[in-house]
Amino acid sequence: TKNQNPSSSGDQKVIMLPCKSAPSRERVQLWLQAKKQYECLLR
Amino acid sequence: MATLTRQDLNFGQVVADILCEFLEVAIHMILYVREVYPSGIFQKRKKYNVPVQMSCHPDLNRYIQDTLHCIKPLIEKNEAEKVVVVIMDKEHHPVERFVFEISQPPLLSISSDTLLSHVEQLLRAVILKISVCDAVLDNNPPGCTFTVLVHTREAATRNMEKVQVIKDFPWIVADEQEVHMEEPKLIPLKTMTSDILKMQLYVEEKAKKT
Repeated sequence: TKNQNPSSSGDQKVIMLPCKSAPSRERVQLWLQAKKQYECLLR
Repeated sequence: MATLTRQDLNFGQVVADILCEFLEVAIHMILYVREVYPSGIFQKRKKYNVPVQMSCHPDLNRYIQDTLHCIKPLIEKNEAEKVVVVIMDKEHHPVERFVFEISQPPLLSISSDTLLSHVEQLLRAVILKISVCDAVLDNNPPGCTFTVLVHTREAATRNMEKVQVIKDFPWIVADEQEVHMEEPKLIPLKTMTSDILKMQLYVEEKAKKT
């Protein structure tokens, strides 16, 4: 059940995070510039 | 008024759906308010009946969705103690941590009429607090990035494994550098208590960011 003492069963607290990184600001900035140029071409 | 256990109506799943939808909006708002990404990628939308800023960058949106998809099984089983949005400087040291401390009651006393509207009202207040949190935080150094941490238990990570494989989005145990922050300032933002969920949101901010 939920009320079991986790330390007694060896169930340690852990902090997890994704192995992959979020897109960098530079990559996102480049995408934004390309998007704006594309939108200009369409006008 | 009825008293239900977590097993009734698959309540864990309902809570996980509500919470993950909320966390998605909250993460977008944090990234916008704290200027982690250029403001040009954000578009105004309406969530919880308030205006919010959501990214339209496909890779970033996918990254946030995949992250939450992997956390969801933990929330469903009430095994995610904290979900933390960490903003890191160029050297990958944390400068700010937005900590969502979550707890779910084992017994639920609910009335269906009030349930969803009440929760929505409370979540709206949290979103509004995030939207103005820059007033109480120092500017971040240029070139920051972010990650999401989840505080759970070793056994519970097995619930994530299947989703990680399906999504090709593996998770690892955080190391000291990703977790440690020198002399953090604690800034409480909002506490919410509802029948299905209790949540506390606070920011841990590094005293000297530069």
